[in-house]
Order: sequence, then structure tokens, then C-alpha cells
Amino acid sequence: MRVLPVLTAVTAVTVALLAAAPPALAHHSFAAQFDANRPVTLEGTVTKVEWQNPHIWVYLDVAGPDGEVVAWECEGDNPNTLTRRGWTSESVEVGKPITIYGYQARTGAAICNGRTWVFGGRTVFAAANDGGPPAAPPEQR
Amino acid sequence: MTTRTGLQVFLTVIAFAIAALGLPPHLTAQQNSSPVLTEAPAGDGTPVPRTPDGRADLSGFWNKGTHPNTSAPIEPLPFTAEGLKAFNDVANLIDPTSYCRFPGIPRMNSSPYPMEIVQLPDRVIFLYEYMHNFRVIWTDGRQHRPTWPTTLMGDSVGWWEGDTLVIDTVNLSGDTWLDSHGNRHSDELHVVERWRRISANELWYEATIDDPKFYTEPWTTGWVMPLAPPDWELMEYACTDNNRDAEEGLLQPGALDGSGRDGTAIATPSTYR
Repeated sequence: MRVLPVLTAVTAVTVALLAAAPPALAHHSFAAQFDANRPVTLEGTVTKVEWQNPHIWVYLDVAGPDGEVVAWECEGDNPNTLTRRGWTSESVEVGKPITIYGYQARTGAAICNGRTWVFGGRTVFAAANDGGPPAAPPEQR
Repeated sequence: MTTRTGLQVFLTVIAFAIAALGLPPHLTAQQNSSPVLTEAPAGDGTPVPRTPDGRADLSGFWNKGTHPNTSAPIEPLPFTAEGLKAFNDVANLIDPTSYCRFPGIPRMNSSPYPMEIVQLPDRVIFLYEYMHNFRVIWTDGRQHRPTWPTTLMGDSVGWWEGDTLVIDTVNLSGDTWLDSHGNRHSDELHVVERWRRISANELWYEATIDDPKFYTEPWTTGWVMPLAPPDWELMEYACTDNNRDAEEGLLQPGALDGSGRDGTAIATPSTYR
């Protein structure tokens, strides 16, 4: 019982700190591509990582409530910026679980703008662009 | 319940302290905002490095930051009717940089990611990570090319006024935007930039937008660029490497900073990246 609030507090602080580092405003906008009215929480397994400019893409298989697996693709921050923050191309590992809080593409495809990323025991803010709403685990909203 | 809340607060404070201590200094510094200004602030007092001939040395690796709305401190801008129409048209246009088009001048300087300046006696070289781009600004007295079609980055010449590098740029095409806010310019744009190192750690950047087709009078904006952490280096930024957004038709029209054209324009905070 005691463990949960501790973890929550630590997670909240981590999210707050990392969210304070503003996301890159790179070469396209959040509003141009993603729908702020379609927040998504994706819990799945990483199947592929594209560590390339201008933005990283992480592919993940997400099992729905009915057990059907949907292949999602989420865009993240710029690899150069992430490198300067201490990430490597192996920070997000294929085969490992990941949770991404983000927003779905306006087109309705299984494509997301990943805002808050939870993996490897860490919670980090690594969004591709400015202008969008924050996306965090529900308890931090 | 009370105990649990108290414990949470206590742990939050502890966690915050630990997390703050664990943050590398440059990451903390990155979170400082660098406002868009109308005049140069005083530097931090550290001595300005100088070249052997005594000139202020702009050379260094600069964390130039991102400044989406470069007109924030001087709005409303002095639009002509054509300029206002172009500004409002942004709601129907896809940002040209989304297709990896060069951002043009002055937008290159408000775009994300760091840059390196190499100052030589007869020219100053700007190496931009963003779009993997560069500028070579000759300061040897040469003039603009007499005839040349417009280009995305224009035709620049430079000269020194004391410790300030002045860059005069013409022949800019109307195909780029002034910034990510969707401020616009025409093919009559003439930009005068002033670069001055105000301390060992700070570079003052100023741009005057002179575009009689879109603005009834010139307007000037500027900001401070901090020196980057010493372990930073230029990295590859190949915008076309995996630009799925453009390649897969995901892009939609509108200003890059998400601001509207209905009076609800937002002033996106500047960032250091």
C-alpha cells in the first residue's frame, strides 16, 4: 500500500522535471498532423526503432481489450537532441515493453505523436514538436 | 489519509531535490527561456574573446535556441494589405520547412539546434546543424552580386561596425517564411542582421525586416544565444533521411507553432535545444 504513493510521487516529479524541458519545434507542427482531441495511451511491445532525422519513430504492437494486436507507429523527438540528453539509439529496446502517452494522427491511422514515454523504468518527455497539449500518465494531468 | 498525503509531499520534495541534483548543468540551463527582445541586454560581465587583431571573436559553438514567434515583442506588425493577407493565408498553407526546404534568412537563426561560428580575417562562416546548412559571409568589402535570381538563402555580404558583424541579405525568394509562427515575407525582403558577442558566454542577434511589399516600415527583433556546453558538437541533420511526415502525406496546413489566425495567436515560448 505504501509503495504506490511513493512511486507516484517520484514519477510525478520526474515527469514534471522532464516536461519542463520544452520539446523541439522542429520542422513541422503538432497541430498540423496530430489531433489534440484524440489522446492515446499505448501499452505495448517495441518492434522496431528508427533512430533517424528528423525525428525518431518507435513501432509497437499494442493488444486491444479484445486481444487483437494493432501495430502502432509513434513519432518522437529529434535524435540529435535526444543524444544531447543522454539517450542512445539503444535506449528504446526492441522486444521490451513501453507505454506511450500521446495523440493520434488527424488521419485516424495508428500513428501517434508520442509525448510522454515510459520504458526501462524511466518516464521521459520526448515529443517531436511544440504547440500540442501535454500528454502524461492520467494521474499527472 | 492525512499521513499518506504528508508522506507523498515529503517524498516529492526529496525526489525533486535528488532529481535536481542529478541534472547536468547544461540541461538545467536548457530550460531557461530566452525571450525575443527589442534591444540587447547587458552581458554577464565575462570578457569578450578577441582575435589576434583585436576584433571581438564570434567563433564558438552556440546553442542558438528556437524562437517560433520572432515578432512577439513588437506585435501588431505594420502590415500592408498584401502582407496581412499573406499572414492569414498561413492557415491554408503547409510550412515550407516541413518539406525540408531551407528555412531562409532570418528563419535559419530562429530554427532549432545549435550552430558553430568560425571567424576568419576576411569572412565569417556559419555552420548550422539544422538542415545541415551553412553560410559564408565575406567581410572583405565585396558587394552583392549584380545579377542573380532569388534563392532560398539569398545573397549576403558582411562588414564590421566596431565589434558588430553586420550582414546584409537580398535576393531572397518569397518561398520561405520569417519564422515558425508563420510570419511572412515577400520577394522584396531585405534583411539586415547584427551579430555582437556581449560576453564570453552570450551572442546578441538582431534582425531588421525591410520588406515594403508586406510591411509599411522595417521592424527589428532579436534575442540572445548562449554558448553551448563544451561537449556539444555538430551532428548530422538530414531532414530528408526519414521524413515520414512529408512522404506519407501526414502534413496539414497551419503555423508551425500551432497559432491560429483568428486573433488567438499564441506566443510559443523560446527554447534552447
